[in-house]
Amino acid sequence: MCSLARHAISFGVPPNAISVEGLEKLFPPARSGWRAFLQPFEKPTVPALAGISFEVRPGEALALLGANGAGKSTLLRILATLLLPTRGRAHVAGYDAVRNARAVRRQLGYHAGSDLGFYARLTGRENLRFFGRLNHLSTSVIAQRISQLAEQFNLGEVLDRQVRTLSSGTVQRLSLARALLHQPRVLLLDEPTRSLDAIAAAEFRRFLKSEVLRRGDTSLLFASHTLSEVEWLADRIAVINAGQLLACDTANALKQKAGTPSLEEVFLCLTGRATHATAEESAE
Amino acid sequence: MMRTLRELWAFFWRDLSIARTYRTVFVLEAIEALFGVAMFYYVARFVDSPQLQHALPQGGSYFAFSLIGFVFLDYLNAAMDTFDRSIEEARDAGTLEHLLVTQTSLPVILAGSAAYPFAMTTVRIAVYIAWGAVLFGFPLREANWIAVLAVLLATLLAFSGLGILSASYLLLFKRGNPAKWFLLGVSGVAGGMLFPISVLPDWLQLVARLNPVTYALDAMRAALLGGEGFATVWRPLAVLLAFAAVLLPLSMLVFAWALRRTKTTGTMMHR
Repeated sequence: MCSLARHAISFGVPPNAISVEGLEKLFPPARSGWRAFLQPFEKPTVPALAGISFEVRPGEALALLGANGAGKSTLLRILATLLLPTRGRAHVAGYDAVRNARAVRRQLGYHAGSDLGFYARLTGRENLRFFGRLNHLSTSVIAQRISQLAEQFNLGEVLDRQVRTLSSGTVQRLSLARALLHQPRVLLLDEPTRSLDAIAAAEFRRFLKSEVLRRGDTSLLFASHTLSEVEWLADRIAVINAGQLLACDTANALKQKAGTPSLEEVFLCLTGRATHATAEESAE
Repeated sequence: MMRTLRELWAFFWRDLSIARTYRTVFVLEAIEALFGVAMFYYVARFVDSPQLQHALPQGGSYFAFSLIGFVFLDYLNAAMDTFDRSIEEARDAGTLEHLLVTQTSLPVILAGSAAYPFAMTTVRIAVYIAWGAVLFGFPLREANWIAVLAVLLATLLAFSGLGILSASYLLLFKRGNPAKWFLLGVSGVAGGMLFPISVLPDWLQLVARLNPVTYALDAMRAALLGGEGFATVWRPLAVLLAFAAVLLPLSMLVFAWALRRTKTTGTMMHR
């Protein structure tokens, strides 16, 4: 057991759902031609995360807000144990994401926000059963959870159809069902409504709020470009730019500090794009 | 232990369920096997002679000798292909990341991904030999089936190490399988597939003795054609298990290192 988890248990304090301290990630530079062959052995020099620190408390929803390439997905993938950080530490439910990756995976559900990630010729139910089994659920628990999630996600009619015949929106719901199948304490969502239409996205958000967050036993860290989604779902918002954490607070606090009623303006102001945007608007 | 078996079964069931959606493939493969066996039978009829039969290790027909060599080439091919193909397919379908965020360990994911392809290759070999026995007089009466099973299992373990090494290469370099081409090439010449290694020059015989395929074929021919039991096949069997004892842990270490490297470079999902 890692030191944070032991400490938390010995003092009876639940550990933070997520705790990130001075997290840095460097990638090797992209190469082309024959040098691409050596890329796996290149020294990482291109920064994606530059010393990020924050926490997500138990039951809290934290949104990661940033432009493309800001480092949101990199951060989520480190927490999901799919990437190794260059420096710094990341803990999920008290477990170190590098040293105790398996314990971390037990605590989290991961949804990458794409409609890939399923076996297209298997049915939704067969896919969920397979991933349930790999998450060490018994046959009866898998059946029970699938029926619960199918009802909550309105998947009942499509669950026995091959995934290749389902719409993007339905596959997204199926993907979230998979992430929740083993009742994780922490849910990591990377642009969860990216390929959903407006109605499906609204339903998806409503579901997250009413069925996942309301219970208070699941913490949520999600990346999104949709400001209304961020504002509606998140208790706090972390604004990231070029791998750095610029601010992390409630939407109201961020607006107050920036002196503006709009989250969009807060974002533009914090990321230094406000001047650019204003200049463009005046030019128009 | 039970949990691991359940996980392995889940992989097997996944692949079987997918394969069931392509039903005609089973029929087409059985027909393909028939043509393959017929081709070997007629080539053997053309080249067979008392001198040739005398030169073969079990003294049987060239048809039986070469058919075993050919079906084992299929086994070797499957071992070298299975692991990297399963990684490649998982990467292309986007399931690789979702497999890696489950609680199932990496060795079980690898073994599970290979379970169905190996089982199907074994079935395919059985179909080849069954066609040979039913239509072309492949001699099965002498076979020692327990020794045959033991040789198959030892071969599978020895070849799996090579397959996992090949998958590690794929993880790092994204395309190609040089180990497969090298080993298949070497085995075609110095593995005793279609001719006994005694016809090779001394230095190539030495190469053949370093190749697990040679031992697998020696043991399989002895058990299947000669009806030999463990008293005879223990030697090639021990060599195969020694290959497995070295290659399997080594390949798992290399694969874990390669995976760690892709987690460092962020290239796991790159194609």
